[in-house]
Amino acid sequence: MTPLLEVANLNIFFPQASGESTVPVDDVSFTVAAGELVALVGESGCGKTLTGLALPRLLPRGAEMGARTVIRFRGTDLTSLSESELRTYRGRRIAMVFQDPMTSLNPVMRVGAQIAEAIHAHRKVSKRDARERVLALLTEVGIADPTSRIDAYPHQLSGGMRQRILIAMALAAEPDLLVADEPTTALDVTIQAQILELLDHLRATRKLAVLLITHDLGIVAGRADRVLVMYAGRIVESAKTARLFSHPAHPYTRGLFASIPRLDADTTRLTPIGGSVPRPADWPTGCRFHPRCGAAIAHCTTHRPPLEAAGPDQLAACWVTQGMTK
Amino acid sequence: MIPLLSVERLVKHYAQGGAFARRGAVVKAVEDVSFTIAAGETLGLVGESGSGKTTVGRAVLRLELPTEGIVRFEGTDLATLSPAELRTLRRRMQIVFQDPFASLNPRRTVGASVAEGLEIHKMLPKREIPERVAELLEEVGLDAAYAHKYPHEFSGGQRQRIGIARALAVEPSFIVCDEPVSALDVSVQAQVLNLLLDLRDARNLSYLFIAHDVALVRQIAHRVAVMYLGTIVEIGPARTVIDAPKHPYTQALVSAVPQPDPTKGTARIVLAGDPPSPSNPPSGCPFVTRCFHPMKDSRCAAQRPSLRLVAGRDVACHYAD
Amino acid sequence: MKSQRGWGILLLGLLVLLAVIGPWVAPDWHAMSDALTDALLPPSRAHWFGTDQLRRDVFARLAYGARVSLVVATIAVTVAAILGTMIGLAAGTAVGWIGATVQRCINVGLALPRVIVLLVVLAAVGLLSPVALGIILGGTGWPAVARLVRGEALRLREAPFVVAAHALGATPGRVVWREILPGTMPAVLVATTLGLADAILLEAGLSFIGVGVKAPIPSWGGMILEAREQLTNAPWLLIAPCLALGLATSAATLLGEALRTSLQPDTR
Repeated sequence: MTPLLEVANLNIFFPQASGESTVPVDDVSFTVAAGELVALVGESGCGKTLTGLALPRLLPRGAEMGARTVIRFRGTDLTSLSESELRTYRGRRIAMVFQDPMTSLNPVMRVGAQIAEAIHAHRKVSKRDARERVLALLTEVGIADPTSRIDAYPHQLSGGMRQRILIAMALAAEPDLLVADEPTTALDVTIQAQILELLDHLRATRKLAVLLITHDLGIVAGRADRVLVMYAGRIVESAKTARLFSHPAHPYTRGLFASIPRLDADTTRLTPIGGSVPRPADWPTGCRFHPRCGAAIAHCTTHRPPLEAAGPDQLAACWVTQGMTK
Repeated sequence: MIPLLSVERLVKHYAQGGAFARRGAVVKAVEDVSFTIAAGETLGLVGESGSGKTTVGRAVLRLELPTEGIVRFEGTDLATLSPAELRTLRRRMQIVFQDPFASLNPRRTVGASVAEGLEIHKMLPKREIPERVAELLEEVGLDAAYAHKYPHEFSGGQRQRIGIARALAVEPSFIVCDEPVSALDVSVQAQVLNLLLDLRDARNLSYLFIAHDVALVRQIAHRVAVMYLGTIVEIGPARTVIDAPKHPYTQALVSAVPQPDPTKGTARIVLAGDPPSPSNPPSGCPFVTRCFHPMKDSRCAAQRPSLRLVAGRDVACHYAD
Repeated sequence: MKSQRGWGILLLGLLVLLAVIGPWVAPDWHAMSDALTDALLPPSRAHWFGTDQLRRDVFARLAYGARVSLVVATIAVTVAAILGTMIGLAAGTAVGWIGATVQRCINVGLALPRVIVLLVVLAAVGLLSPVALGIILGGTGWPAVARLVRGEALRLREAPFVVAAHALGATPGRVVWREILPGTMPAVLVATTLGLADAILLEAGLSFIGVGVKAPIPSWGGMILEAREQLTNAPWLLIAPCLALGLATSAATLLGEALRTSLQPDTR
């Protein structure tokens, strides 16, 4: 069975006038099956957001994709399509939801009109049918009293409701894949719980595939089918969620788990990862995690580790877990 | 024994700003908040945005004037101090901010920022200041040579350490930590948290640790106060409160903490709706509009519950048991 | 951005050069030739920009006029920057009624039409030396700077690093002087450079309508005024000062815009 989305050798770089170019996403490959929720986890600057933007080819100005990059959606390589052909995928098949629900909405346009616009962009419908459809979407995303909210402006709604509006806009064209980039990071925890519950509900009712981009392993647990862990532009570990949480293989993944405060911890101290997240210009050679890694050996400083099996349904890019010593 | 800090019936109201604001609209940021902190103790103050937790932190340091209520530091009512006396007392109480990018003056070197307090209080002769700055930077885990660099040359975690060094320079006994790690990457948060714990032990510091992350507060605080819409709804020993919360809001808050453990499942309690606006709070219990307690009744809507002792902590709920 | 700054510095440098050494190399600006035939000569090797009806060398007058223009404009923007910064800081940092009162004063200053105020003042005091004119121009130019500084100060007042200084026990004066004032300087510098263009134009305009620099001291505005009558038979009289004026204002604007972009990302 072919997956819904297949990304192979995704390279994103910013060519500089000086000839030196930074490569914030370096040879990333993964798949998302129909109806699957895959989490892409990493810290700021690891390239996870650019990876999400690359799927419908919405990269920022100045960014380019490598020649070997393949983004296959239902068997079609999106990298070979023209801009006009891409438009049938953007929003229509691959929809996006971003972190900041205020800046993603037009502040001077009623939210109902914004959702209607998303419907009109992909289908010819009458004004009245569109309004009916907007009301149905508002109800589906859990907006209480949709008939009055449909004519509200974004600033009249709370952060949680604005995020629901954005999700409604994303759903307007009945996409197959939803790319959600930190959809709950700007929200309070009790509101975050509401939005996550909504995502779970939509996935169950619509058989929607989701790529959930986040820094928070907590919201991944018990929600994602598989997890991809990104560090400094590369995927360092990829596994089924239960496996990743019970047996994290890569030292970075293990370090992340040790850094997170837990409600059932017995001690007061956490075990941090030393150093700080490097900027793309300072990314080290070999394994990019080696300067912060307690297990690093000499080989790690010079040779890039491949992503190889580290357990059942689990890949890790680490020389040490692959059995290399000294 | 006199506690290091005591806050009694603190109230802070703001007039709603802007030329087009409704006349007389008042934001009730903090309503009747009381607590004490002992020497060497850490009180965690948790709540969501708009709960008033940051305002409490500022009012405690008298960076904002409370509308009503008394803040005592070592028994002295801060309101009775002259501006000069208050400035002298500031040596004893400090603050660490959330945003490591905005909390340092971009135009001054790290050394100048750390030395600021030493200069203000004339704690050392001028020529001894660089040496002291170097010691402070090393105490927070930074290279002494960083004193000559500017803030933009550092990562978020390093800047947060610089902010901590600046606060430590004046030898305080009490520090308000206002979300000190929430802007940092996960892998760096733990470093800064451990640093704060080390400093607490080494210098016998007291913290008012303001955070939205219940799990974090459970790890660092001795006691915790949970705020909702300007009031404390539950206060007590951190693990007593967080491991077995009694107030329905605390229960929902703890349940909503995303835990990196698939066997724990997802949030069991998902609250409906949004918190009410602090300019128009409900009468009676502030949580009444979202409460799911099976015994919720007309009394909750009419009468504001006061804190009462339940199972080793104080809870502001008519029906908690 | 780089080239913008380069052009700005180059043009302004040329003008300063013209103002400083022009009057030394060119003939005296008020020297009238004895030969009546030397009136209204077109540009030649002896007279680069020709001569006017009073048989004076236009290049020499232009060079001296540059001196006048730059002196007047520099004094004007300096006075405006100093007054505006002090008043803006007071409005942005003083609490209670003092801040509010100062803010009212700024609003009144902004509401008054600058040119009309200048006309009234100049009508009252009569023609002035370049230095006195510069001071009067500066005295009417501060409200724009004050508004800018007030805005920056209000923003900085809430910045965590300023709150941190208060929390450390810094006196209000120390906070304003060491934390807030330096943060407003880039904006003032940009406004001052852009204001240079305004001041040059304003001085030219006032001289053109005859209330600016006292004749016979040459100024570009005065030269344009005099050239008007000879427009058809000696257009070079008009072209030379207009060109100089255009170059000067472009130079200041280019430099100001370049400063604006280069001073912005200082926090990162």
